[in-house]
Amino acid sequence: MSQRHEAPARPRWLRMLGLSTLILFGVGAYLALAVSPPDVNQGQLIRMMYAHVSVAWVSFVAVIVTALYGMAFLWRGRPVDDARAVANAEIATFFAALTLVSGMTYSKPTLNTWWTWDAKLTLTALMFALLVGYFVVRGLIDDPTRRGRVSAVIGVIVAVSLPFNYLAAAWFRTLHPTLSVAVTGVTMAPIMLVVLLFNVGVAALVYLTFVSERVRIARLEHARLETRERREGDTPGEVVRV
Amino acid sequence: MSGLGAGLAADVAADVAADVAAVVTIARKDLLQEVRSRAVTVATLFFSAVTLVMMAFAMGQDAELLRRSAPGVLWVALAFAGVITAAQSYQSDLEEGAFDQLLLYPVPRASVFLGKLLANWLFLLALGLLMTPVTLVLYGAPAGPSAWLLPVTLMLGTLGFAVVATFYAALTANLQAREALLPVLMFPVVVPVLLGAVRSSEALIGLQNTVLAGGWLQLLAAFDLVYFVACTAVFHLVVEE
Amino acid sequence: MRAVASVGVRAGVRADLRAGASEAARSPHALDRETCGGATSASATTASATSASATTAPATDRQRRGATDAALAVRLDGIAKRFGRELVLRDLRLEMAAGKIAVLKGSNGAGKTTLLRVLATRLRPTRGRGWVFGYELQRQGDEVRRRIGLVSALGGNYPVLTARENLRLAATLSGLENADLDGALAGVGLTDVADTLVRTYSSGMKKRLGLARLLLLDPPLWLMDEPYAALDENGKALLDDVLAAARGRDRTVVMASHELERSARFADAVLELAGGSLRRSGP
Repeated sequence: MSQRHEAPARPRWLRMLGLSTLILFGVGAYLALAVSPPDVNQGQLIRMMYAHVSVAWVSFVAVIVTALYGMAFLWRGRPVDDARAVANAEIATFFAALTLVSGMTYSKPTLNTWWTWDAKLTLTALMFALLVGYFVVRGLIDDPTRRGRVSAVIGVIVAVSLPFNYLAAAWFRTLHPTLSVAVTGVTMAPIMLVVLLFNVGVAALVYLTFVSERVRIARLEHARLETRERREGDTPGEVVRV
Repeated sequence: MSGLGAGLAADVAADVAADVAAVVTIARKDLLQEVRSRAVTVATLFFSAVTLVMMAFAMGQDAELLRRSAPGVLWVALAFAGVITAAQSYQSDLEEGAFDQLLLYPVPRASVFLGKLLANWLFLLALGLLMTPVTLVLYGAPAGPSAWLLPVTLMLGTLGFAVVATFYAALTANLQAREALLPVLMFPVVVPVLLGAVRSSEALIGLQNTVLAGGWLQLLAAFDLVYFVACTAVFHLVVEE
Repeated sequence: MRAVASVGVRAGVRADLRAGASEAARSPHALDRETCGGATSASATTASATSASATTAPATDRQRRGATDAALAVRLDGIAKRFGRELVLRDLRLEMAAGKIAVLKGSNGAGKTTLLRVLATRLRPTRGRGWVFGYELQRQGDEVRRRIGLVSALGGNYPVLTARENLRLAATLSGLENADLDGALAGVGLTDVADTLVRTYSSGMKKRLGLARLLLLDPPLWLMDEPYAALDENGKALLDDVLAAARGRDRTVVMASHELERSARFADAVLELAGGSLRRSGP
């Protein structure tokens, strides 16, 4: 018989963060869509690049942070570290998916193909597959401690795989020199660089907002679970002596 | 004081020797089991043969295409064989609770991993050595002058597959996950092995670019080293409950 | 005066083996001397050695808790185990002296196997701590495993190996030199089939092999999960003898079983696991 819980309100700093992220996202979108001049080569399509590059960078950072928090969990055993690792993995997966979609949307008009074996895109695809594996395995383990430890191991492997997969994908491409458009070419006007960096910053803010909220929720879930478990295991057992 | 140091060194050396002996014991057990039951041998031989033949049919009309695809097909078949081998290597342990017993002995977890890895690797290597001439014949690929690279490639490539497969198979076996999960988890990790092994194997079809092959072999070696160390170090975390 | 290598606990084993003969070192007395009270030279030097090896911890831990605790074969303090939403073990507290035989009873699914696996360090408890001969289950697993033997419900054998090979494997991996495989096999009546594959065995024979393994390794603490199940009358009589002998040799036994009448003959206590709680029932 569970009672309905009123979830504690979001703390003020988090609400402010979320709000500013939203506002700045709007600014960034405006910059990308209106302020930035069309590219010399790619025309209006360059605007996709701002979204594509920013989520790509943040997803890779998030994967590394996932691995780091996983290691922290292995070292200190605090559930909050595992929660942080999961939050990072979630945003990494989401942003990796966005990277892939935006990459494909990008290449279709420019290169007339849905998929190029571009090194970074291939790496992102592999990373996405690995992250899916991370969540599948998590779903198979009930015990929170064991789940945290196994996840940490997988998280570290995902991070370690990045350089190898990138090298492999890059060398693979040199053997298949299909047309690839330089995303940030020499012809990028300074204003475009500014817009790009601004949008990267926005992506980073989205990341921070999401991770903070996600960890907050995880903490609440954990606390609720603890009170329920404590209620269940309340009666201390008698000492049996043999 | 030096007596103390000598005593310490002797202790460490003896410990290492004992661990290595445990690795060999476990590898021998796995290989002996395979020799007797032939479960993996049959499965992998059959599967590899089917893969080679089916792919040959699929690409057969163009002799040149067939020849050039030989290394690729060979290594894809070996990758799947790696999955079968590793998955099976834990099945016989789990069947009657022998794995629990295995983990009870005063043997470090890493030795259990290394023992299974050794057995799986040797098996895959043998399979690769067998399949290479078969592929050569089937795909009309004459071994080029740089064919001496092939054994090296086979050793490094199969080791890469074996390390990752043995590691992840422990994970899925312990989780009682569906067997289909193993390739899903493994393959994004071993892409560098696949690519590196295929490119180096192009010595098979007479491409004489040993420099390029050498580069890929270095990637393979680096991969093998890094994952060997990493998986050995964290194995104990994936087998405990 | 040998400093124990910081490589870890196995150095302690090696010191044991070098100090005494191969099997004698694993005899009850040497092990009891080392674990209870820390009187041997190995433990004495560990207490003073600077290394942070695992063997220093139990010495100081035991000294803190006092001599009585050191004689405990098993101590559980608030052990709980949750599987998903179900709390299978709740706050178990047990203090079992060395050389005692306890029979664990409970209906199917009550958690007997779970408890045995926790003691065998195969399962990590959700909460609580446990000690076997003073070594903590979670932190000193290696030391605990050296001192326990498990007879699991499944048998723990490799089907594609023979009985002899199974035992030889156990002996080799446990560091036993010149183990008496024939003796162990004869002791459980498997001499005739010693060299046929376990795959051909009946379940009773597989259980006997598991028992043979336990007798061969002869650890101080025996964890047995339904050892009578699948045994025929001869097998059960054999197990009776083994357990009677265990009491004579100071072995500690925790045995999950439904055969309460038989085991009542030599059990020091019958423990009941019900609703996740442990209670003493009977003598």
